[in-house]
Amino acid sequence: MNPRRWLGAMKMRLRTLLHRGRVERELDKELRFHLQQQIEENIASGLPPEDARYAAIRRLGGAEQIKEECRDMRQTAYLEDLGKDLRYAGRALRKSPGFAAAIVLTLGLSIGANSAIFSVIDGVLLKPLPYPHSDRIVRLFFSSNSYPKFPLNPFDFRDFRSRSHSFDSLAAFTRSDVQLSGSGEPVRLAAFRVTAGYFRVLGLGPEQGREFDAKDELPGSGRVVILSDRLWRTQFGAAPDIVGQKITLDSQPFTVLGVMPPGTKHPGNDYHALPYGDSVDAWWPFTFEGNPNQRGSHYMEGIGRLKPGKTPAEAQAEMDALVTEVSREHGRDGGGWHMLVIPLYREIVGADERMLLVLLGAVGLVLLIACANAANLLLARATARQREIAVRMALGAARSRLLRQMLTESLLLALAGGGFGALLALGGVRALVALLPAGFPRVDSIHVNASVFGFTLLVALATGLLFGLAPAMQSSRVNVQQALREGARGATGSKHHQRLRDALVVAEVGLASVLLVGAGLMLRSFVNLLRMDPGFRPDHVLTANLSLPDTEYKTPASALHFEDQLTANLAAAPGVKYAGIGTDLPWTGYDENDGGFLIQGEQPPPGHEFHARYHFASPDYFRALGIPLVRGRFFTGADNHDAPAVLIINSTMARLYWPHRDALGGRVSFEDNPKEKDWMTVVGIVGDVKDQPASGGAEPAFWWPMAQVPLLNGGVMSVAVRSDSDTTGLADVLRREVHRLDPTLAVADVRQMDQIADADLATARFSFFLVGLFAALAITLAAIGTYGVISYSVGQRTHEFGMRMALGAARTDVLRLVLSQGTRLALPGVILGAAGALALARVLRSLIFEVSPTDPLTFAAVGTLVLVVAMVACYIPARRATEADPMVALRSE
Amino acid sequence: MSKPSDLIQGTLDLLILKTISLEPKHGWAIAKRIEQVSNEALQITQGALYPALHRLEQQGWIRGEWRASGTGREAKFYALTRAGRAQLAKELAQWDRLSNAVALVINMA
Repeated sequence: MNPRRWLGAMKMRLRTLLHRGRVERELDKELRFHLQQQIEENIASGLPPEDARYAAIRRLGGAEQIKEECRDMRQTAYLEDLGKDLRYAGRALRKSPGFAAAIVLTLGLSIGANSAIFSVIDGVLLKPLPYPHSDRIVRLFFSSNSYPKFPLNPFDFRDFRSRSHSFDSLAAFTRSDVQLSGSGEPVRLAAFRVTAGYFRVLGLGPEQGREFDAKDELPGSGRVVILSDRLWRTQFGAAPDIVGQKITLDSQPFTVLGVMPPGTKHPGNDYHALPYGDSVDAWWPFTFEGNPNQRGSHYMEGIGRLKPGKTPAEAQAEMDALVTEVSREHGRDGGGWHMLVIPLYREIVGADERMLLVLLGAVGLVLLIACANAANLLLARATARQREIAVRMALGAARSRLLRQMLTESLLLALAGGGFGALLALGGVRALVALLPAGFPRVDSIHVNASVFGFTLLVALATGLLFGLAPAMQSSRVNVQQALREGARGATGSKHHQRLRDALVVAEVGLASVLLVGAGLMLRSFVNLLRMDPGFRPDHVLTANLSLPDTEYKTPASALHFEDQLTANLAAAPGVKYAGIGTDLPWTGYDENDGGFLIQGEQPPPGHEFHARYHFASPDYFRALGIPLVRGRFFTGADNHDAPAVLIINSTMARLYWPHRDALGGRVSFEDNPKEKDWMTVVGIVGDVKDQPASGGAEPAFWWPMAQVPLLNGGVMSVAVRSDSDTTGLADVLRREVHRLDPTLAVADVRQMDQIADADLATARFSFFLVGLFAALAITLAAIGTYGVISYSVGQRTHEFGMRMALGAARTDVLRLVLSQGTRLALPGVILGAAGALALARVLRSLIFEVSPTDPLTFAAVGTLVLVVAMVACYIPARRATEADPMVALRSE
Repeated sequence: MSKPSDLIQGTLDLLILKTISLEPKHGWAIAKRIEQVSNEALQITQGALYPALHRLEQQGWIRGEWRASGTGREAKFYALTRAGRAQLAKELAQWDRLSNAVALVINMA
């Protein structure tokens, strides 16, 4: 049809729809006119008026049928029927509110859960990162078999940058907090030192001012800073002339070079657990200081923007070659190192993507079960209404019309369920976000949005069609004659029906079993995590971070003096058992390594170097944190600058690097051609502490005494204070003591160690909680489904049971009959579920901790639970079966 | 006399369109005219005529208008629209092709 005609036709249809009354009247008038003409014709040919009239009426046929046909022709009948169907459906549903409520609830719950999870997934996984062309941004890590993601050495990085051709821009950054002083309390800023071009990699640029350039990287320069929008507003009152002004960071003057636009998001970094998001306060340039041939320290994070058309794999190949080239130039043989180039998205979302997808799978399973349940309910209802359908078909209703009507009923339920589900989704998303563990990536981009509603609606409609069609087609295929003849008992000859419903229940039980196995495994893994030995004692420990600006503390001695005084004063304070200072704390993801050191009498494996995490610690650091001493001793006050150089290592390092002898007394050197004074002696071996609670194992690590080695970190340190009892008052004590020694210092990140420990368990707890919730929901739904089917079947067989009992069967026999029927449904379901869970073992493996995905205990427990639940679900109908009155059965024969 | 139900629906449409192509007519007049011109061979009943007229109107090929008929009462007169005229031409061509084809097959002994 051409558009103009179509428009005219549509207008016509609309008119007939809206002015239905007028159209009907006109048709009536037309037909009466026609009749009149016929009558006059008859009269003209000689018939008397009465006969003329009757002849005309007879000739013209039934007016009503003609009108009906005309109406059909107008093709608006469809919409009117729809209206009638809806009203009819509404009435029917109101007559059986329990049934309607059951379906709406079933659907609503699963649709709500589905949409809520989907919102989270949308925000975390699907939304693109907030950088232009974020798919081209990659992270770079030094990588080997033993260290898959290692930070970079700054001078190596500089070489890579100048020689690589795969990148538009390449940059590196490292966490380097500074202290802002000036008016008021000194404030600790979360800051990063970045190389020039860092912002170009992200595709962002300062709102005001300019970016760092190559000049700023030269040693001695770099006293410039770029502020975040939030910092500019809160600390500097959004001063319009901030660019060019000098501010004091770490007691040094820095010139403000620019201000970033609001909402600049940090591209994630594990160490110091800076969550992904807008929490960086300032950026200042990384200057390449020191010996460019010193390639041992690795602490820079690499990030780059690929040239258009380059893939990460290509870049990685090029970088691998560069790594080998650079290593060879410095007399190292490459040592099995290569480069790992990962898209930024994968790095940020990474492990959590797996969990979210598994959750989505779980929710999908629950939705399937809900659909099966709803289908079952509707099928049962349709079977019960067969007589009604038979009568209507006998009275001339078209099969398609009946089909349409049942479909309407199902769709109405589905939409109601969808609406309820949408409400649940809104509330659910809010609840989920509140429950998400801290540090979960991209939490701020999770909202309920239009696409989620679209998804919900789609799911609702799909389920409506899915479970509306099957039962509807079933019922309309009923043999009318047979149905009418069956009498009041209703059709029992629906073997087809029964089998379908049984299959649905078996499927439900199977799916629920899979979820239960998943939940069971996660429960065990969670318990394992809880019971896991952290390697230290996080209870009753308060921690905080300080930084000593090197303008105030120019010499190591002055810093040391401060540290000694602080620990002594703290230890003397009431309620404090031990106080220690170190460069970092356990479980913060610290992963800076030193490498290439020498161990007297030991050689590294061929092609490899010795690597270990390095830390500094005061004598009581280990006691404060409760890190146990395995052998040897802790540092003491005697290990000062003039005493022989000493070292404490952890058990892993002892085991790895002194495989055949006791590491105690071993000697380590960090110089290439060590003289006697360059050798450090291992005086103590302490227990292992993992980087994160769920890390596979501990990495080799050593500690230098703070008294002997000058701090590398720019004066940043962590304080740990152990109390005998309560840590609540300790925060004030700590602040007071710090400020007594130096009122210009900011005490930051005051936290209880338990909280840090707890935060890491949060992800495991969250996943377990959700999967457990879904499993509970699933098994409830499966139980309802089983109950429904058995109950219906018992209702059908009441007569039969009555006969049996009249013929001498005991009540227990009947009970056993019904229960065995239930078992016949549940058992195959459990077996199917077990098979399914085994098939999914690989998927589950990544989510669980120290538990095998084929753990027999879990499977056995789940199987037993499901069977018990099925039996309970059958019990009530079974009881009802035994109450069938034999007299009634006999009488109705 | 062949019953009008023997006529396939399309043919009835063609007859109606042709009948009103010269001048607008109301339903009764259309049926009468077809009867007359076909020498009583085609008798269109009310039951076939009015649904067809309504369908053609819905599709936009004819337009109905209430006017005073010769008898003093008002009647709904149908006229061809411009699209209807094009449709008529198309259907005439189709009918031509169809009847030729049938003739060929029949004459094939």
